[in-house]
Amino acid sequence: MKAQRASLWLLGTAFLLSAAHARGLRRCLIAMDMRHLGESFQHIKGTIQAKDTFPNVTILSTSGTLHSIKPLDVCCVTKNLLAFYVDRVFKDHQELSPQILRKISSIANSFLYMQKVLQQCEQRLCHCGQEAANATRIIHDNYNQLEVRSAALKSLGELDVFLAWIDKNHQGTPAA
Amino acid sequence: TRTLTKILEEISTSLIMWLFYTLIPCLLLDGVALLPAPQNLSIQSTNMKHLLTWSPVIMAGETIHYSVEYQGEYESLFMSHIWIPSSRCSPTTVPECDVTDDITATVPYNLRVRAILGSQTSAWSILKPPFNRNSTILTPPGMEVTKDGFHLVVKLEDLGPQFEFLVAYWRREPGAKEHVKIVRSSGVPVHLETMEPAAVYCVKAQTFVKAIGRHSAFSQAECVKVQEETLPLALALFAFVGFMLILVVVPLSIWKMGRLLRYSCCPVVVLPDTLKVTNSPQKLISCRREDVEACVTTVLSSEELFRT
Repeated sequence: MKAQRASLWLLGTAFLLSAAHARGLRRCLIAMDMRHLGESFQHIKGTIQAKDTFPNVTILSTSGTLHSIKPLDVCCVTKNLLAFYVDRVFKDHQELSPQILRKISSIANSFLYMQKVLQQCEQRLCHCGQEAANATRIIHDNYNQLEVRSAALKSLGELDVFLAWIDKNHQGTPAA
Repeated sequence: TRTLTKILEEISTSLIMWLFYTLIPCLLLDGVALLPAPQNLSIQSTNMKHLLTWSPVIMAGETIHYSVEYQGEYESLFMSHIWIPSSRCSPTTVPECDVTDDITATVPYNLRVRAILGSQTSAWSILKPPFNRNSTILTPPGMEVTKDGFHLVVKLEDLGPQFEFLVAYWRREPGAKEHVKIVRSSGVPVHLETMEPAAVYCVKAQTFVKAIGRHSAFSQAECVKVQEETLPLALALFAFVGFMLILVVVPLSIWKMGRLLRYSCCPVVVLPDTLKVTNSPQKLISCRREDVEACVTTVLSSEELFRT
């Protein structure tokens, strides 16, 4: 009887903690002005996606990689994907058009800011579980399978998938 | 060996000559004024509008153009050779540049300016320290508080899509609770509350910029008073007098109308005194016979008079 009560109590606490953690992450990213990011991408989406030479391949969306992420793993996956874009995609992409370069710069610098915000916000609870590590590995593997320039271009074209995923998990105040 | 040394000598001389000829233009140029780089770069940022200014470069009789470029923290960390031309000021002829549309993330940005005259360009002047838009000065918002009948309405200054407003309003009486309303669209009148009469309501507002997570200070409170529901004294007096008059006039006129109606449909007829009969009808008939005889006598006498 006592053991049952204790385990129920533990379960309840764990549930509350995870809910609080998930809500905390949302509170964390609420400071982000996601609307501007989305607008910047919309300006270049057509041009970038038109240059994609491998339309049947995806880097972010393999068997619903992102959609199967549980709330507890959201923080870790967000951090990993931000690092993926900042450390690999933006560096590997060579942009010549000044107009597109301007928008990519805006997105890259916004991602840098998001990394700083996340770092300060969820230091205690943002540890990476197995599923989060798996999802990140799949994305990196997909990227490595393509030639660098094509991979970078494709990843840029899939930014809308990433931004929509952040928006869904951030679930802050709705956009005006 | 002699020919070898001679050849070497010739080569060295020609080298020296060549060096000399290339150095002359450089030496000469030192004497001519090069296009100086713009000085005193500074940036003023208020309410998320960022203005870069510098001291103008003066060259007599010439129009100097300026070129502004920027580089976010990302570029400065990972690709430091990449500088992006400013969307509005590449080139420009005035010694200032609105870089609001270029600074699109809350990270430090490097900004640089150089002067251009024809084919000549000056060295780059870089703004020190780098500019981060979270250092912008946020001012309390302009606010217009009006009453539309009993409705408390506020209209806020339009500061752009990055601004949200926190509007606080309360009834000015001891122990009154302060209400807060978040307003996302500026420039449009917003209804706050329906006011109760004879009360004073006060409003104050502050801005919030989500992109940098900062609030401005609150504006000065503005108060409005609702009109009293009871009428002014003069109006009340007039109303009273009018009411009393009505109380008297209406029954009087109703009574008069009643009398008029009675006369017109069913009038009361009164016999005059001369026609009043005081005796019985028999006596009246006997009186009439005596009068007729007297009347005949009088008629005969007049006929005799006319015969003669």
